Amino acid sequence: MAFEVMMPRLGWNMEVGALATWRKQDGDAVEAGEILFEVESDKAVQEVEALDSGILRIPPDSPALGQTVPVGTVLAYLVKPGEAVPVQAKPAAAAPAPVQPQAPAPTVRDEAPRRTARQQPAISPRAARVASELGVDWTGLKGSGRTGRIVERDVRQAATALAAQPLAPAAAPFSGRVSPVARRVAEELGVDLAQLAAQLPGRRIERADVEAAAQAAADQRAAAQEAAKKAAAPAPAGARTLPISQVRRVTAERMATAAHTTAAVTLTTEADATELVRLRQQLKDNGATVVPSYNDLLGKLTAQALLEHPQVNARFEGETIIQSGAVNIGIAVDTERGLLVPVVRDVQAKSLRQVAEVSARLIDQARTGHISMDDLRGGTFTITNLGMYEIDAFSPIINLPECAVLGVGRIVAKQVVLDPEAEKVAIRRMMFLSLTFDHRLVDGAPAARFLQRVKLYVEKPYLWLTQ
Amino acid sequence: MREMTFVDAAREGLAEEMARDASIFVVGEGIGARGGNFNTTVGLYDLYGEQRLRDTPISERGFTSMCVGAAATGARPVIDFMFIDFMTDAFGEMFNQMAKLQWMSSGRLKMPVVVRGCVGVGPSNAAHHSGNYSPFFMHIPGFHVVMPTTPADAKGLMKTAIRSDDPVLFLEHKNLLPLKGPVPDGEHLVPLGKAAIAREGKDVTLVGIAFMVKQALAAADQLAKDGISAEVIDPRSLAPLDIDTVLASVHKTGRLLVVDEDFAPCGAAAEIATQVMERGFDDLDAPVKRLNGLFCPAPYSPALMQNLLPTPPTIVQAVRDLLAE
Amino acid sequence: MADTLEMIGKEKLLALLRNMLTIRRTEEQVVKLYAAGKVYGGVHTYIGEEAVATGVCAHLRKEDPVFSTHRGHGHALSKGVTPREIIAEILGRVTGCSGGRGGSMHMFKPEVGFMGSSGIVGPCIGLAAGTAYSAKLLKLDRVGVAFFGDGASNNGLFHEAINMSSAWGLPVVFVCENNMYATEVPFAKVAKVQDVAARAQSYGLPGVVVDGNDVVAVYQAAGEAVRRARAGEGPTLLECKTYRIRAHSEGMRDAGYRTADEIAAWKGRDPIKAFQARVVDSGVASQAELEQIDAEVKATAEEAVTFALNSPMPEPASVTAHVYSVE
Repeated sequence: MAFEVMMPRLGWNMEVGALATWRKQDGDAVEAGEILFEVESDKAVQEVEALDSGILRIPPDSPALGQTVPVGTVLAYLVKPGEAVPVQAKPAAAAPAPVQPQAPAPTVRDEAPRRTARQQPAISPRAARVASELGVDWTGLKGSGRTGRIVERDVRQAATALAAQPLAPAAAPFSGRVSPVARRVAEELGVDLAQLAAQLPGRRIERADVEAAAQAAADQRAAAQEAAKKAAAPAPAGARTLPISQVRRVTAERMATAAHTTAAVTLTTEADATELVRLRQQLKDNGATVVPSYNDLLGKLTAQALLEHPQVNARFEGETIIQSGAVNIGIAVDTERGLLVPVVRDVQAKSLRQVAEVSARLIDQARTGHISMDDLRGGTFTITNLGMYEIDAFSPIINLPECAVLGVGRIVAKQVVLDPEAEKVAIRRMMFLSLTFDHRLVDGAPAARFLQRVKLYVEKPYLWLTQ
Repeated sequence: MREMTFVDAAREGLAEEMARDASIFVVGEGIGARGGNFNTTVGLYDLYGEQRLRDTPISERGFTSMCVGAAATGARPVIDFMFIDFMTDAFGEMFNQMAKLQWMSSGRLKMPVVVRGCVGVGPSNAAHHSGNYSPFFMHIPGFHVVMPTTPADAKGLMKTAIRSDDPVLFLEHKNLLPLKGPVPDGEHLVPLGKAAIAREGKDVTLVGIAFMVKQALAAADQLAKDGISAEVIDPRSLAPLDIDTVLASVHKTGRLLVVDEDFAPCGAAAEIATQVMERGFDDLDAPVKRLNGLFCPAPYSPALMQNLLPTPPTIVQAVRDLLAE
Repeated sequence: MADTLEMIGKEKLLALLRNMLTIRRTEEQVVKLYAAGKVYGGVHTYIGEEAVATGVCAHLRKEDPVFSTHRGHGHALSKGVTPREIIAEILGRVTGCSGGRGGSMHMFKPEVGFMGSSGIVGPCIGLAAGTAYSAKLLKLDRVGVAFFGDGASNNGLFHEAINMSSAWGLPVVFVCENNMYATEVPFAKVAKVQDVAARAQSYGLPGVVVDGNDVVAVYQAAGEAVRRARAGEGPTLLECKTYRIRAHSEGMRDAGYRTADEIAAWKGRDPIKAFQARVVDSGVASQAELEQIDAEVKATAEEAVTFALNSPMPEPASVTAHVYSVE
């Protein structure tokens, strides 16, 4: 059996070597232990001795001198006299192919969303910091982290949504299939993932989709700008050009949306507010530090009426109608920045004094520009009072997603007929109440019954004061 | 700028320092005429002779103790353990004498020793030739630990280590030894305690230890194809540790993965994760993730090595998991 | 006998005596302080072994480094650390030779070549060999000395360091103080060959057995060993047979492993008493002179205690200083 002379491993991590020179020639007799050849490796030239005896046979396809070959490559054979050289050089016994490590299977996550001990959703420290910086209320957010944890991207999305609609509840982060990169890019470019998903049903949104959508939107805007430029006549002399403020923009959007979304109907009634006026005067004379305003009184009595007419304290949510258990009343406030509607929460559970204190604070904050996003959201009903401007009645616009809004006119002394049969008249303090309601949510009769209740509570305060 | 291997660069640093300072001498098994099993001292014996390139018997504790005594009295020894695994017999001399003499003598005795050796799991090196041990020295007051990953850093940190008056562990990963890279001409020193950003990125921070820096860079290439931009940091020094560079990166990215082939408990990754948690808490969008080697001695058969260490695919997967957090 | 004493000379002889007495009287103060509960950690006294440190260190210069053991007060004092610095260190004061950092077992004064005592048995042997290596490398005229006990002679470091020192011809003297017990383990039970010096032959260096309670014998043997080292003739292993009169460390019971008779017998061979008698008998000095020396030494020792008790403690914040050379 021919003895194979192979490229030896001469060092710890030697993988290849080159034959430097043969010290014996083809056909020479070799004794075991004699120097047979020299190898050039990364450790310079080394002599290699024969491990067996025999006649040296170097086949014609043996590696050339200086050619680098893997350790284990057959260089020659030592054969016994008369023995034949193996016809074909056996394939080099290469080192076993390096085993390809398998990437472990994608980790499966099905842990329930984590809540902290305070029963709030878990939020990463970074997200909490960013939320604080951006003024985002994170407690209502849905977290996209693995365990339902709220992470930075959720907060940033909420902030973007809030900036677009500061008076509406924050939009839930998009929960459809989207790559992390696409999500991030969508945030940066201001692309609405929900809208985009609607255009790409059934597949995961990728970065390219987002960038295409952003580009399309940009193109649209550019085209619109061009058109606007062409259409715009130069402003007449003496005209002022003003930038559109954020509040103006938001108000414009919301009013327009309400106008073309709701089925708005306005009901009007004139209430005898004499008792209400008297009540307020008594509270004033009592020397209370905080005297409830008419809005506070109206808020409290409206809340009572709403508890009795829950279908007016309602909103659409997806495919359902939610009738809120709490009455959160928004008060329209005219400020330097524009129309703001701070919300007094849980009016039904607050005393009149508490309502007065809270509303005073909120109105002050709104006027001085210190109101938080939190306090401008979450209303279930709105009261708007133009009585101080000598307005009698008007048709207020609904504050979406609420069902109805109460417009309050001025209180004016009038001569009214108390008893037509007896032809009895008297001077009474009269006030118009205008209720605009969304006929999609509630019909005329129930809305009217509600307004009738409000009127009753205005005329007979003792009825709700004693609730 | 020249291309050279890691081991050649480290040796060039040693040679330059030995030429500068006649009090530097090297001890170790086979580092004399032979030039070292890993070629760490090739050519130096011919220049400086046996006093400065001292071949030792297999007396790790003995020659370590002697080097401590020599360092305390004016010489600057470099102890070349060949495989860091052989250093374990000398732990007592290192922990109780080398690390403490300076402190015990209130600074009157100095300890300018460099301890070097090859670390890390190489293919089929098995249980006694695959050790890392860096956490042991990070943990004890008195030691510095450096683990360069590029030839330029190998040279620069070798020179800095030799010039330091404190004991420095110069741990060279065996898989890095033959790798080539650019080395600047002229005097080149790398300071202790300064990390390098091996690759800039913005979606996730990867910190690699020694050879794992290379694996992390390969993973980063793969991640880039999927649009994930990974920043890869090479600490270079483990003690002192440049945590500020890591913190700045985490401030940018919010997510950190530390890749260390060494065992998880009390390791370099644990220390980095804890420091980032302590000082960068508000920048973290997800828990810090560690990817370590399996918790068992290094095996021999390639089949047993298959899942042993972090590799570019497992690092890529870990990053994906981390981004989903 | 008288020849030897004449060769050494009165001045030197009295210096030897003064040194032994300094060790004895200082250690007696330490014993008292320990008994009074004023010592924080453990102490291992050198009482009974004074001749060894004295005889060896008499040949050493300030720059000759000495590495010592947990039982190191005698070596420290012999090398030039003052009783004040020793006692203050044992009492944890900032005026101690290690600034209060080390206590009895970690005393340092490199300024006089006292390179430290160690709480671990063995390292001093390698460390001393290392200083000899650097001396040779840097071409400095320096001899390194290691003091260690019979216990250390069985430690791996003994063999490794002595082997390398002999192979490389290092200028070092290894002094084994064989007091027959390693803590409480009799040397007789853990070594087949009872002469530590006999091991030297295996490593190719001279091994000399010396009566460790005869300061003149130690002086002579050490003189030859130091001469060899300085002359570049390589290391020597001196085995000084001696005995510690007190327990391994203060506070430990001295029971169970050695007999009262044995202790009494060795007390009868007190190195100081023996040397005093010899000096007086040979006419080198008078009893009065010797008593004068003792009185001075006692006063120094007592003053050292006062000094130490009145010294301040180190600043707590200083504890982390000097972990590294650059903070």
